Amino acid sequence: MTARVALNQHPDPGGLRRHRLRLLKEGALGTAPLMLGLIPWGIVAGAAMISSGMTPAQAAAMSLLIYAGSVQLAVLPLLVAKAPLWVMLVTALVVNLRYVIYSATLAPHFSHLPRAWRALLSYLSTDGIFAVYLARYERASGDPERHWFFLGGAMALWVGWQTCSWIGIFGGTLIPKAWSLEFAATLGLSALVVMLMFDRAVLVGALAAGAVALFAPKLPLNLGLLAATLVGVVAGMTVARILPAKAQR
Amino acid sequence: MPAEPLTVWLLIVGGGAVVYLTRAFFILPGRSLQLSPDTQRLLRYAPAAALMAIITPDLGTVQGELALNVENLRLLAGLAGFAIAVWTRSVLFTILGGMLVLSALRFLAGAL
Repeated sequence: MTARVALNQHPDPGGLRRHRLRLLKEGALGTAPLMLGLIPWGIVAGAAMISSGMTPAQAAAMSLLIYAGSVQLAVLPLLVAKAPLWVMLVTALVVNLRYVIYSATLAPHFSHLPRAWRALLSYLSTDGIFAVYLARYERASGDPERHWFFLGGAMALWVGWQTCSWIGIFGGTLIPKAWSLEFAATLGLSALVVMLMFDRAVLVGALAAGAVALFAPKLPLNLGLLAATLVGVVAGMTVARILPAKAQR
Repeated sequence: MPAEPLTVWLLIVGGGAVVYLTRAFFILPGRSLQLSPDTQRLLRYAPAAALMAIITPDLGTVQGELALNVENLRLLAGLAGFAIAVWTRSVLFTILGGMLVLSALRFLAGAL
């Protein structure tokens, strides 16, 4: 319960405040290498929302409320194709399922914090801060102030993402069509998917899903993406079952 | 034709709720739970499969028609992008490298 000790009850309030500020700063600096990747990715997501017919207010709200580039880029083509709302929401869920693992991994790290803190850290959780935080705090024990490091890094990424997203929203139309921003979005998704390839089974599953999406005839209601995903998951699970755990790497 | 404003707003709010649910799933209730290896696999395979299913039609078709040939420059540049992603593990280098390859291919195709 040490983290709940108010500053004025702490034996050394000045020292604790300095410690927290240092963690905030170290977290922010820890995400610096990711910031460069965020710039094109955020601008592309911002511009893609506008070119999908969203108003700047809608795009800014989406960037704030969803705050997940992969989800935004996944649902936009469905929005343009006038897919039913539930298909878009299920797609958002499927693309973001990886965050459930992050949340299971992070939960013991933050279980000593008040609910408001846990609500805030949940909102700020992304692929980037997850990797940076776990690289420093592998185990959920030790410094009870470690969430300040997470907060510092996550806030830096949030500010960076929102800024780049706004640049894309308000400046995206200035980018010449010949630059093929949609292609940049596809490249960004490709980089993300490569980073999710942690074993051979997930690779097989992804390739199966990609093949189904490419070759299968069009399904009604834009269900093709979800059908391809289902095939991919089944293929991946099957490979994981067949291959012994050691051979999967 | 842009989508209905109501649909867009429902997507923004509903999507926000869905995404928040996945992020907060274990953190907010504060429960610690070991996910079984099979559950972990499912949760990782689904996003990778979904993202790949978005990527392949984008690279492998031209105006809705299957185009798996060297004249499809986006396919070639996309494959180069994958190679760069595997090599560098960097979103920045993948986007910049892939765009550079696409520009170079377009220049060459124009010069031929």
